[in-house]
Amino acid sequence: MPLLTFDSADLGYGTQVVLPALTLSLEAGERVALLGQSGAGKSTLLAEIRRRLGNTAAWCPQGYGLVPLLSVYHNIYMGQLERHTALSNLCNLLKPRRQAWQAIETLAGELGLEGLLRRPVAQLSGGQRQRVAIARAFYQQREVFLGDEPLASVDPHQALRLLAHIQTRHASSIVALHQHRLALAHFDRIVGLRDGRVVLNAPACELTLAHLDALYPDAGKSSRETEVDATT
Amino acid sequence: MSAPPGLLQGTSPGLTLARRSLALTLLCLLLLPFADLRIIAVDPWGELWRMVQGFVWPDFVALESPLRAIVLTVSVALWGTLIGALLGFPLALIFHRSRLVRAFCAFVRAIHELFWALLFLQVFGLSAVTALAALAIPYAGIFAKVYAEILELTPKAPTEALPAGTDRLSRFLYAELPLAWERLASYTRYRFECAMRASVLLGFVGLPTLGFYLESAFREGRFGEAGALLWLFYALVATLQWWGHRRLLLPLLIGALFFLGPWPDVDGDLLWRFVSHDLWPAPLLDGNLAGLGPWLSSLPDLLPAIGNTLLLALMGTVGSLILALLLWPLASVHFGRPWQRFGGRLLLVVLRSTPELMLAFIFLLMLGPSMLPAWLALALHNGAVIAFLVARHADGLTIGMAGLPASGRYAYELLPRLYPNLLALLCYRAEVIMRETALLGMLGVATLGFYIDSSFQYLMFDHAFFLLLVTAALNIAIDAISRRFRPREVPLDDPCSR
Repeated sequence: MPLLTFDSADLGYGTQVVLPALTLSLEAGERVALLGQSGAGKSTLLAEIRRRLGNTAAWCPQGYGLVPLLSVYHNIYMGQLERHTALSNLCNLLKPRRQAWQAIETLAGELGLEGLLRRPVAQLSGGQRQRVAIARAFYQQREVFLGDEPLASVDPHQALRLLAHIQTRHASSIVALHQHRLALAHFDRIVGLRDGRVVLNAPACELTLAHLDALYPDAGKSSRETEVDATT
Repeated sequence: MSAPPGLLQGTSPGLTLARRSLALTLLCLLLLPFADLRIIAVDPWGELWRMVQGFVWPDFVALESPLRAIVLTVSVALWGTLIGALLGFPLALIFHRSRLVRAFCAFVRAIHELFWALLFLQVFGLSAVTALAALAIPYAGIFAKVYAEILELTPKAPTEALPAGTDRLSRFLYAELPLAWERLASYTRYRFECAMRASVLLGFVGLPTLGFYLESAFREGRFGEAGALLWLFYALVATLQWWGHRRLLLPLLIGALFFLGPWPDVDGDLLWRFVSHDLWPAPLLDGNLAGLGPWLSSLPDLLPAIGNTLLLALMGTVGSLILALLLWPLASVHFGRPWQRFGGRLLLVVLRSTPELMLAFIFLLMLGPSMLPAWLALALHNGAVIAFLVARHADGLTIGMAGLPASGRYAYELLPRLYPNLLALLCYRAEVIMRETALLGMLGVATLGFYIDSSFQYLMFDHAFFLLLVTAALNIAIDAISRRFRPREVPLDDPCSR
């Protein structure tokens, strides 16, 4: 069953087309890794997928998109803002609701954020902020997980753990990332973008690291290989 | 071999700005002969000497109930700012969507606090309502504009990360307000400092704040007393960070309520008569449009007044530019020894904290009634404001080449980086200077403010109101022009610098 299909669609912002004549089909229940260097069009594609899926997809944006002045609890709570009335959201800002607090406490514990619920996000490290952003996406409780580089600022071990959490909680996931080994080992399919075109679209089991290097301008050079190793 | 480019030839942004500033300065020099810059006083230096003596040996004992004046000054400033912020905030939320709101805000902030005070004085008398409305109404317009700008600049990422279908209020409370809070609070604090100065000035129209006692002490030559009052005011401003602390705000606000007063008995009929009848030209109310001609010709001669107002604004702006260029190194870590810097900074803070009208008044007593005292006051006050901010900006820069002489550091390292910012600040200040020129009319300089003040004194409210509208229109025009010439892409765009 297809989750959604693009049939030679022009994607972009306003009049500027980033991904011309895109043809791509994504299946429900599939784990898709989105690869390509920055500027290849990953974020544009994810934004459009998010627009089409609406509230069936949880969203974890690039650069976290957190509110530094608010506590970890409130930032995670923002994942369910649309399910409550404005008045109850306002009250929750002044005094956290018991139910929400307990749900978020469990979620935070799972992601290694225990004891940080009251702390303003401004006082957290990059890796902790990353996990708050993922927790907020989890709190949305959707079937599909959409992430724009949600593993960019954590170490390789943590990336692995977080990815496992993401995939057990969501039937489908579409994730943009840079870690090639992780993409090959833990995703069903890999979609590679280069200069606004899909240049790679294949099951992960049929691909090797060398295939993925074709996504970069200095393709084939061994220096790329070592750099990738360093980041995975 | 190619010839080097001629004087000021080239297309680099620095040269463009330099050409623009020089053109402005030249225009000012060309028009200077039309300004009335006579020194009328018999013995200006003797007068200055007596004032300095009063300042150096202040006579605190002679003060009658200074505490009451201080408390009233602070109370009016506090509540004026609070009411202004409460009115301005909802306006800020619709500021960018409604042309009507923008026009209304531009109008109310184009009229100086003191003119609003003169207007309300006719209805509410010398009362707390007059004082609070005089501050709160123009501040509502200013808050609306600046709050709207701050809110517009908040990062959009958190809003975009919210799930679809989040209601407007929750979006605002969770993803917009917390991001803007710090800047909103710091701007409100800055506006409160402005309100302190304005509150002092309200004394000039007779409300019993510090300015009232200052004016009478200066006017009657009791310089020891005047010096003491000035010292009290500086002490009040200098200690603001302690007594105006966030935690003390609520007790201060509640306490201030007990000192605000007197509260007027408002006569509804009189108020309605004033608003619906007294403010408007009689021929217009009678539907007699032909009668408007004679009414217009009964107005004081407007063109010289407008000319004087514009000329003084131009002179004030150019004067501030030159003074800012000269003064900023005094307070910057890149120049001088620590003790010299301390002195420089003190000078700038004193010039910045003294209300312009106060400065003009002091110069007026010294030099006699011409444009000269007004010019000096405008240039000194606004030049110091800009110099202070530029020095703070300069302190954040590191010099690339070590061991340059001071002139090299000034002209090659620092000024090229600071100048766009300095000009941007000057363009913001141009509007403030314009508001103040009109105001200086109250001291007898023949600007629009002079005729507004005298129309109020002769109870010709229709004239006064019409002149106020002209003043507001001029201000809005100047604001639009200065916004056009403001350098874009300046590194430091702090709303508190306006």
